[in-house]
Amino acid sequence: MDKLMETVLSILAGSKITLEIFFLTLAMSLPLGFFVALLRLSSIRPLAILMDVYIWIMRGSPLMLQLLFVYFALPMVGVRFSDIAAALLAFTLNYAAYFAEIFRAGIQSIPRGQYEAAKTLGMTYAQTMKRIILPQMIHRTLPPISNETINLVKDTSLIYILAMNDLLRVARTIVQRDFDMTAFFIAGLFYLVMTAVLTAIFKRMEAHYGKYDE
Amino acid sequence: MENTTNNSEYMLRARNIYKSFQDNEVLKGISLDVRRGEVLSIIGPSGSGKSTLLRCLNRLETIDKGSIEVEGKLLVKNGLKGVAEYAPKQEARNILARMGMVFQQFNLFPHMTVLENLMEAPIQVKKQTREEIQPVAEALLQKVGLYEKRDAYPSRLSGGQQQRVAIARALAMKPDIMLFDEPTSALDPELTVEVLKTMRELAAERMTMVVVTHEMTFARDVSNHVIFMADGLIIEQGRPAELFGCPREERTRLFLGNMLH
Repeated sequence: MDKLMETVLSILAGSKITLEIFFLTLAMSLPLGFFVALLRLSSIRPLAILMDVYIWIMRGSPLMLQLLFVYFALPMVGVRFSDIAAALLAFTLNYAAYFAEIFRAGIQSIPRGQYEAAKTLGMTYAQTMKRIILPQMIHRTLPPISNETINLVKDTSLIYILAMNDLLRVARTIVQRDFDMTAFFIAGLFYLVMTAVLTAIFKRMEAHYGKYDE
Repeated sequence: MENTTNNSEYMLRARNIYKSFQDNEVLKGISLDVRRGEVLSIIGPSGSGKSTLLRCLNRLETIDKGSIEVEGKLLVKNGLKGVAEYAPKQEARNILARMGMVFQQFNLFPHMTVLENLMEAPIQVKKQTREEIQPVAEALLQKVGLYEKRDAYPSRLSGGQQQRVAIARALAMKPDIMLFDEPTSALDPELTVEVLKTMRELAAERMTMVVVTHEMTFARDVSNHVIFMADGLIIEQGRPAELFGCPREERTRLFLGNMLH
């Protein structure tokens, strides 16, 4: 029993870094993704193309490769980050690309009539985006955003390869030391609890934004 | 149409408007005048350019050539190279603020209640406080008979109710001119009646209105002036009694014959 308790506590300690990566990535990639979506939709062609290329690279290559690149390849050319900063940079750039595509589709799904109504009422572009387009976009993009967010919880386990003592790495260390699979089950349970909490939060948000149906 | 210089009489003047979409010339030199308190109806077959014309008047489309004057102020004029030249941004914004618009598809903001739909622009654009605008908005809802629906979301309303809210929303900005782009075309016949009733009441209050419509009865009974358009041109215009009573042009006769069975 003591041993089980010790395993749980170790994994709990490991989940601290997991949660840190998760929350910080989310906090940075959501606004960055929105910004990228706006640039991607802008009428300034070179900017839009640049964003296309960025999205293509981030979505078209493995996140693992991107992690290794930031962590190992960049230091070779003199760009150095701390472990956590390297992980955050790779995760944020990667997730921002996915979020950008979700936001872009969300913005484009709002009928033209909404912009026209706002325009004939004298609203500026900024007012229209903030008051009319964004709230409707959030409503429409919550399900795919929820999906990506749950993916992010699980993707944090990739930092395992950077030798950071996250949830999964701690579990593996215990399994290898004790020849006992329990730690894996407990780690799995941790992920499941986290995704369950997220699912519940998104359900509430969808209900909140869905109080009008279209 | 006489070309007087007395501008104040006219709320809206357009001269020789040309507009193309790619190679397709949709407006081929349209001119019109709307006097204060006048109701102008624009009728014509679909594809005649009448909706485009209306959208050009409030800059939802930019014109290629021609000029538009709103209450004596130039929104757009013919520039030196014969290309349309719009007023500077802020000036254009002020001019456009004189016009309200009602769309075929209503275009209410679905994430806001009826009352919020009415108050949004006065608060955001005119920087009015909630306390100032709420009584005005509620009075407008009373007027269109939808005060009870003030806290409902648009999706809970019928098409006719949504369109009356849209009219009230435009009126909340206190425009001098109201533009209607086929306001009843998306509605069932029994819902059309209630929207037309609201529009008749507005006309009776001497609101200046430009109405693109398929409702011949409305055009005949309510408007002071009717324009018949086809293929991007004004084919015929005049007082409704003349145009409906004894149309001069064959195109007009054919069109009216089809519309009135």
